[in-house]
Amino acid sequence: MNEILNIVSLCVGYDKKPVISDFNTRISSPSLVTLIGRNGEGKSTLLKTITGLLPSFSGNISFFNKEISSLSTKEKSTIFSIVLAQPPQIGNITVRDFVGFGRYPYTNWLAMNSKKDNTIIDESLALCGLTDFAQRNFANLSDGEKQKIAIARAIAQNTPVIILDEPTSHLDMVNQIEIFELLHRLVKEKQKTILISSHQLQLAMHYSDEIWLLNQGEIEINAPTFFMENKTIEQLFRLENKFKLW
Amino acid sequence: MPLKLNKISLLLVLLSISAVFFFIEDLFLGSVHIPFSNVIDILFTSSSEKLSWNIIVLESRLPRALTAILCGAALSISGLQMQTLFRNPLAGPYILGISSGAGLGVAIFIMGLGFLGISLTHLTWIGNYGIIISSIIGSSCVLFILLVSIIRLKDIMTVLILGIMIGSVASALISIIQYFSYDNSLKSFVMWMMGDLSNVSLAQLKILFPVVLLGLILSFLISKKLNTYLLGEDYAQSLGVNIKMTQFTIIIITAILAGSITAYCGPIGFVGIVVPHLARLISKSSNHIIIIPLSVLIGTNMLLISDIISQLPGSEKVIPINAITSLIGIPFIFWIIFKNKRISELN
Repeated sequence: MNEILNIVSLCVGYDKKPVISDFNTRISSPSLVTLIGRNGEGKSTLLKTITGLLPSFSGNISFFNKEISSLSTKEKSTIFSIVLAQPPQIGNITVRDFVGFGRYPYTNWLAMNSKKDNTIIDESLALCGLTDFAQRNFANLSDGEKQKIAIARAIAQNTPVIILDEPTSHLDMVNQIEIFELLHRLVKEKQKTILISSHQLQLAMHYSDEIWLLNQGEIEINAPTFFMENKTIEQLFRLENKFKLW
Repeated sequence: MPLKLNKISLLLVLLSISAVFFFIEDLFLGSVHIPFSNVIDILFTSSSEKLSWNIIVLESRLPRALTAILCGAALSISGLQMQTLFRNPLAGPYILGISSGAGLGVAIFIMGLGFLGISLTHLTWIGNYGIIISSIIGSSCVLFILLVSIIRLKDIMTVLILGIMIGSVASALISIIQYFSYDNSLKSFVMWMMGDLSNVSLAQLKILFPVVLLGLILSFLISKKLNTYLLGEDYAQSLGVNIKMTQFTIIIITAILAGSITAYCGPIGFVGIVVPHLARLISKSSNHIIIIPLSVLIGTNMLLISDIISQLPGSEKVIPINAITSLIGIPFIFWIIFKNKRISELN
């Protein structure tokens, strides 16, 4: 296990309003980290800031010893790939071409795929069990299938870190489990570092190596077993005496 | 997918052939009947039975047909870029108010000066260049406002709303000027608003041609970046695209293409909205590397056909080109709307 990301006194927010301040942690590779928290707490803002899509208010994020804010958009695209909650609305494109977007940081100005690019695209499709979908039209698929394709695209981008912002929020239980299983496999087999935000508490506890619990601007980091034993998550989601989570 | 690529190449070749065919037709047809063999003679040897035929073909029909080609290509590509940038299937080259700015410039030039008692209508040369210059000034002002707002505003959709509002303000100012203007100048302005391919001389084409060519080449060079926009801005950025820089480039290219065409030919409607959809429908692709050349050729064909129809072959009358492009364009838009019930997936 080596440290891949180092976050030091990070302060993030939007519209000049800070939502999370003085956040410090190290993420080791490979690992699956799940960020949990209520709506509006700043989960997306934090994830976008870590990938460099949003500027931070203060503090440092470094990838090995390189500071993220000093890297170009192009360099960042070879470190982080993303999957967002909403699958992109795009018609007239085959699943294979969609996954091929992942190769954009590496291809020439005409986006011509080399042999290596094609192999990586095929592998990504196979890894997500999408080989049979390759020639289907992306627009005609279900949301669950679209999100798996979005993950395949992120895999094709071949970055050490993959960041997913509530990728399962529009999906049914079967798809949610499949996606967490897929992410778990990526960590084990491909040594990826995955940071995901989710409201699927049980799945997060089951599959993650580490949980980040975001509550009123403070992030508590610990192993899933810790949170299953103490009652912070039940308190945060006001579940005491109503439901039994685990 | 070599098969698909072959199909697209075939399509491009066929469209090029039909463009050449319509180009020749456009030279051949008109209110004065000139035999086909004579047209060819005039083109290649500049000699003909009658001097008047020579003048008609070389100074009227040839520049008009060439302008139709440039116009079709430029409007289609600027429309395509706007649809991609705003992820809106009904966006077109004029959506950002660039041409309304041009219109306001021309309105002030034609009618405003007339109101002040200065008449330029009898001075053809000043009249022609004045329209072009005032139109360029008008569209550049709007372009400047848009670029500043991109730096200031976070969301590109806000820029779209701003563009639409600039367009409305310009139109409102134009109607005030129209209300107070004299009959003569009002008529010349209305004629400009109807769009006209025949105002461009061969000498002016020497300016228009490189400008449009530059815009088209730039647009093709950024086609990979345009593709990433289909995924949305966050995904585009995570694929290594510099968002602000690309927005700047797209809007400047659109201003070059739509602005120069509006300056020389007036606003010509619907081509820019319809052609990119046709390109996507025919190729079943959203890849700009394919649909940019395809849109250029479809746009070229469409404007040549519109120009042929507007000449009303066999009669002495000419219908404004804008009426024809709208009459051809609007049914296409209806078709697009009814065929694709889910507007969001049009791009």
